[in-house]
Amino acid sequence: MLLVARKNLFSERTRLAISVGGLALSVFLIGILLSLFRGWSQQVGGFVEHVPADLWVASDGTTDFLAASSALPDALGGKLKFVPEIDVVSPIIVRPMELYKSGDDPNDTFDVQLVGFDPVVGLGGPIEIVSGKKAPGPGEVIIDEETRRRYDVNIGDRIVKGTKSLAVSGIASGGDFIYTQVAFVTIDTAIDFVNLEPKTLRTFILLTLDDPDDRDNLAHRLDVATPGAKYVAPEDFADETRSRILGNILPILIVVLVVAFIVGLSVAGLTIYTATVEKSREYGILKAEGFTNLFLYRVVFEQSLVTGILGFLLGAALTVLVAPFAQDSVPQFVVFVRWQDILGVAGVTLLMALIAAYIPIRRIASIDPVTVFKG
Amino acid sequence: MDENGRVILDLEGVTKVYGSGEFAVSALKETNFRVTGGEIVAVMGPSGSGKTTLLTIAGALLRPTSGNVTVCGIDVTRMNEARLAAIRRERIGFVYQSFNLLEALTALENVRIVLHERRNHSGAHAAERAREMLDMFGLSHRINSLPKKMSDGEKQRVAIARALAKDPELILADEPTANLDAKRGREVMELLRQKALELHKAVVVVSHDNRIREFAHRIVWLEDGRLHDHHPEDHRFV
Repeated sequence: MLLVARKNLFSERTRLAISVGGLALSVFLIGILLSLFRGWSQQVGGFVEHVPADLWVASDGTTDFLAASSALPDALGGKLKFVPEIDVVSPIIVRPMELYKSGDDPNDTFDVQLVGFDPVVGLGGPIEIVSGKKAPGPGEVIIDEETRRRYDVNIGDRIVKGTKSLAVSGIASGGDFIYTQVAFVTIDTAIDFVNLEPKTLRTFILLTLDDPDDRDNLAHRLDVATPGAKYVAPEDFADETRSRILGNILPILIVVLVVAFIVGLSVAGLTIYTATVEKSREYGILKAEGFTNLFLYRVVFEQSLVTGILGFLLGAALTVLVAPFAQDSVPQFVVFVRWQDILGVAGVTLLMALIAAYIPIRRIASIDPVTVFKG
Repeated sequence: MDENGRVILDLEGVTKVYGSGEFAVSALKETNFRVTGGEIVAVMGPSGSGKTTLLTIAGALLRPTSGNVTVCGIDVTRMNEARLAAIRRERIGFVYQSFNLLEALTALENVRIVLHERRNHSGAHAAERAREMLDMFGLSHRINSLPKKMSDGEKQRVAIARALAKDPELILADEPTANLDAKRGREVMELLRQKALELHKAVVVVSHDNRIREFAHRIVWLEDGRLHDHHPEDHRFV
């Protein structure tokens, strides 16, 4: 680093602290928001992606798992069993519900996405059991560990809707959708619990195939052969589910990211600009002494760059340190810190440093060295 | 003075006009000025007489409206900014009225910095050279002091050490005693004269301080943009 740049930067410790602090705050905000976005993306699409099905069957017009407006006749499942390329057919019932823990205030409800599946087939059931029974029996429910953590519902408790209740017999993981969690019951329990009419309706049908590579071809043929039903790949269905939640949040997230960028840029830009204006005469002296504009630009750029690096290191450290604490305190604050994102934030910080140096550099270019001979 | 009479600075018919049309002001008019190696010339005159314009044109900082400027035999009149910067860097040392030291740098660093972009000056060599110069000016005890911790006399000595550190052939001093009391002004001028003679530099001192006269080989008077070998109204200068 050039002597003048280093000395200018570190001789004004307060200004440096403000500059680095502003950039660190910006980096922290950008880092934490990106991690939050990654965490949510991973979480809300996770269940659909991890169900070991090759195809999801839904009624036409259904876009994702959470809307669950799909309604298919059980008879369709019966027909699909006769398709030679299909190995397993597993109809499931999915309903969003508000429940409360028995013994609590009935107004203290929480959301679950109730999934009725066939425990014998297993497809559409819990991704991984954390404790308790591996499959629910009649009148039993396996809840997600996030439901247990947030609402203090444990094995042995009953969860209630109206006059009906379910006994919690197990805890599973991998079914958290941030604002709701999946709860698993048998298909017969689901029919009874949600008062399904007609009782032969199913929400989705899950299929596994003999040859998963033939999936797209088969989906196309079945689309044509069974009007009213659509056949979707799990990854597409997961993406649509993510879009439902994140699509609404993303514009807000982008606005906050832009604000964070502007805050960082403004703080760094203003402090570097004022430092340059304050040192205008000294830059004039250097020009008079024969230093080229390029050398002086380097001085400003190096100051900006070092400020950026310090701000980035502090901000990135804050992100990595604060994220786990925030996640523990606020269950919805699901973050996933990726090194690729941290690298991206480093790039953004470099951009901020470059832009922050631009106006001061223009100012230096306009300094007339003759002025140093005045007074 | 240079026994061979080598001309270090040569201004030929230099005119400098600021502004244009009815607002045009001539700061220098058809000025001829020549300084040889080892010569100390005092340019005196009242405020607004064009002294600083003369100095900045001689220092390759300002281009004349007409005429020619030669520094160390190199015509700098129509040089581009990059080459002018190189001339200033390699050939000219400046001493300013208000010292113009960089506030965040120590005395040693203030002297060392001007050696930064010069050929044959590695970091270690530059530091060694800067140390020598400060030692020469009796500032060994001040090498790590910041300008704000130094007296005005010490600051001006550092400034002169900086001007001489790059071993320029021409030294241009702008009112070097203006911010110093009589005693310190005399000390600084004595030191400048002594070192300039020792190191065989051409020195131009611009001032309206009469005390400067005793340190110069030659005095020229500038008034209304015209250079005279004597005071226009005072024959003592002849």
